[in-house]
Amino acid sequence: MQSINLHVILCAINDFYFELAWIMDSLPQPVLQMHNISKSFGATVALSNVSMSLYPGEVHALVGENGAGKSTLIKIMTGIYQPDSGDIIINGNPTRLHSSAQAQAHGIAAIYQEPLVFPDLNIAENIFISHRRRGFLVNWGKMYRDAKKVLKRLDVDLDVRAQARGLPLAAQQTVEIAKAISMDVRVLIMDEPTASLSAHEVTQLFKIVRNLRAEGVAVLFISHRLEEVFEIADRITIFRDGELISSRPTHEVTREDAIRDMVGRPMGKVFQRQPSEVENVVLSVRDLSHRGKFEGISFDLHAGEVLGFAGLIGSGRTDIALATFGIEPAHDGQIYFDNKPVNIQSPRQAIKMRIAYLPEDRRQHGLVLPMSIAANITLPIMQDYANALGIVQNEKERQTAQDYREKLSIRTPSIDLPVRKLSGGNQQKVVLSKWLNTVPRVLILDEPTRGIDVGAKEEVHRLIDQLAKQGIAIMLISSDLPEVLAMSDRIVVIREGRQMGIFDRATADQEQIMGAAMGQLEMERDHA
Amino acid sequence: MRRVRYFIRVQQLREISLLLILAAVIYFFGREIEDYYTARMYNRIATQVALIAVIAVGQTLVVLTRNIDLSVGSIVGFTAFYLGDQLSKNPNIDLETAVAIAVGVGATMGLVNGLIVAYGRVPSIVVTLGTLAIYRGLLVEYSGSQSIQFRQLPDWIKTLPSEVLYENFGLDLRPLPAIAIGVMLVFQVVLLYTIFGRRLYAIGSSPEAAELAGIPSRRMIMLAFVISGALSGLGGFMYLARIGTITTDAARGLELQVVAAVVVGGVNIFGGSGTVFGAFIGVILISTIELSLIRMQINEFWKDALLGAFIMVAVLIDTFIMGWLRALWSRTELRRASSVQKVQSI
Repeated sequence: MQSINLHVILCAINDFYFELAWIMDSLPQPVLQMHNISKSFGATVALSNVSMSLYPGEVHALVGENGAGKSTLIKIMTGIYQPDSGDIIINGNPTRLHSSAQAQAHGIAAIYQEPLVFPDLNIAENIFISHRRRGFLVNWGKMYRDAKKVLKRLDVDLDVRAQARGLPLAAQQTVEIAKAISMDVRVLIMDEPTASLSAHEVTQLFKIVRNLRAEGVAVLFISHRLEEVFEIADRITIFRDGELISSRPTHEVTREDAIRDMVGRPMGKVFQRQPSEVENVVLSVRDLSHRGKFEGISFDLHAGEVLGFAGLIGSGRTDIALATFGIEPAHDGQIYFDNKPVNIQSPRQAIKMRIAYLPEDRRQHGLVLPMSIAANITLPIMQDYANALGIVQNEKERQTAQDYREKLSIRTPSIDLPVRKLSGGNQQKVVLSKWLNTVPRVLILDEPTRGIDVGAKEEVHRLIDQLAKQGIAIMLISSDLPEVLAMSDRIVVIREGRQMGIFDRATADQEQIMGAAMGQLEMERDHA
Repeated sequence: MRRVRYFIRVQQLREISLLLILAAVIYFFGREIEDYYTARMYNRIATQVALIAVIAVGQTLVVLTRNIDLSVGSIVGFTAFYLGDQLSKNPNIDLETAVAIAVGVGATMGLVNGLIVAYGRVPSIVVTLGTLAIYRGLLVEYSGSQSIQFRQLPDWIKTLPSEVLYENFGLDLRPLPAIAIGVMLVFQVVLLYTIFGRRLYAIGSSPEAAELAGIPSRRMIMLAFVISGALSGLGGFMYLARIGTITTDAARGLELQVVAAVVVGGVNIFGGSGTVFGAFIGVILISTIELSLIRMQINEFWKDALLGAFIMVAVLIDTFIMGWLRALWSRTELRRASSVQKVQSI
């Protein structure tokens, strides 16, 4: 009697678990889960406590400003970086990914804005380049047949024998997707795949993405173009400053919500500059164009003004600076200096006109790393430090270097130290000293505070303010939105090589600037 | 101490290390070879060093800018032959004119290299491999398969190499080594203390930063090639004075010896660092090893292989000594830096 009861109970329990398992199975299981992932590089926190899940048959969009932590997350997913803490769970099993080969073995693959194809191999060879199960000889017939099959699954028409060199970018991307598919990919990460595609090619790509979704692949889609995100994504996750701000199904998000979540960084920490007395126009640019980089750029730069340039990375702001400084002269349009048309063809000419350019990449372009601080500061106008024989006058040079060391408080035991040994912030001060020593009238600053610590950043901000007060006309290119807003008198917004408008600092806010940079909001103020 | 530090820079640790190795090499051969320390051996080495060193100085300037000049052997051969031909036709050409001709011809050939490299933007290894063959071809064409004979030359050039300018301790300073030392000192000063030198280092260390600082990089690179050509021309004059008999094969393969010496002398083959003085020691080191091996009467086959092995061992040891010196240097630098800070805080 008792035993029968026990049997019944056991059966009931068994049934219950069976049912439970069945229900659990029918619920979609995430194929990839990131659980409480954190990652820092030195003092900079790239990701803090990020958790997100990717489900099969879902297109999941990842959105955020430059530097929000998207790239770091992708690199952790593909095994390039290891997280400092947190778990990667693949199909319910916590896993460690130590290399991209390992990530691929788990069915995680990524394609990037610039496809990585082998130009001298044909399409079929590119698709099967990393397949391991191969005999001693290549079975060409089988390879071409298999390649055709893969392309057919994607519903694209490409000649598998065509050489990859010379294929349009979109086709090269398709080859990369085909490569991933042929390796049985379960998670496909697409990092700004549409950035260099035409509208028609984007439509084609989206068709492929939808096919992948129908096959049950989880697609992680990263783009700066909000309209595309809203078109293709099932779920939108927004990152800001290394944190996950929101993650919602697409139909629950409006564009305004998305932009607000992306910006909205507190302004309090940034040095607030008072608007300056605007004097006469020093530099004026009309309809400047450089094929494939930017077009129709027009602005006036006044003495004593800080003109901010906002936009996403790669939007063409640096190219405008390079054209103004004569490194890559523009093809069309006109630059006026002191109201006179000028044709600046080399940095030498620009320096003679007293234009200075602090480049984005200070280690590569701003400094000669093995040379001393003093030698770096005098480099552009060395002729002023030499006697008739061309011999550099050491005392004069050292005096200049000492002056800047004090004025800009460059922290170093000696001005004879190679600049390689200085910290990022102090290196940047050396580059600034170098250009200030040329007594510029126009100073172009390209990301002047990137990669330097908070203290040095504030010193640079105060310095910019002082320089503007002295009547120097300053172009400030920065991807740090609060910085541009706090430092500039007016802000030019550039998006994909085009000028989206010039905003007045007094009336502009972060949402407006970001909206314009991403091509979302209607222009309310034009050409102030 | 401050004075010493003023004269010795970090970059010169390499030279100290090379000098130590040179001393070790001389000590080694001195033990292996009887009657090694003789005036005759010294003169032999000095003459050979003189010829290669002058060309190595020019090569150093070129290599500093991330370029290479492989045509130097052909320029030496051509100028030696051309000058020999002129001298045998007009025996009243004097020393100054002869040197001017040689330097002028060499500089012109260097200018061709420099123009194509700097303004044609063709990689220097391609350009100078081309002109290596072309200048040699010019020599063959010009010579009409004849050679210059020692006896055709005027007397003053025949006796020039063996004149004694200054003598002490049984060692004498002869004109060719004197020229080499002079050239080396002049360019050492040029590289360390002039705008031109500073610019060459800047271009070699960071071409982009140099361009952005408004340095006329192309003109500077062209000038480096012109100087390399001119010094090769001077080398041609010295070659003629020393050898006397010039065939169309004169100075063939010299470029490899020169490049080897420059690299052994610590000039970075990727540009931006190294000194003329370092290259000079590199030349002395290689020439000493080579001539000592010849003196040991080692079989011709083994001589080259041994020379290669010696050079490799020397460079290997040099890396160790450099590492040691660097560590020593940064330790004293740290100590100095902290003492400076202490002084400032007081």
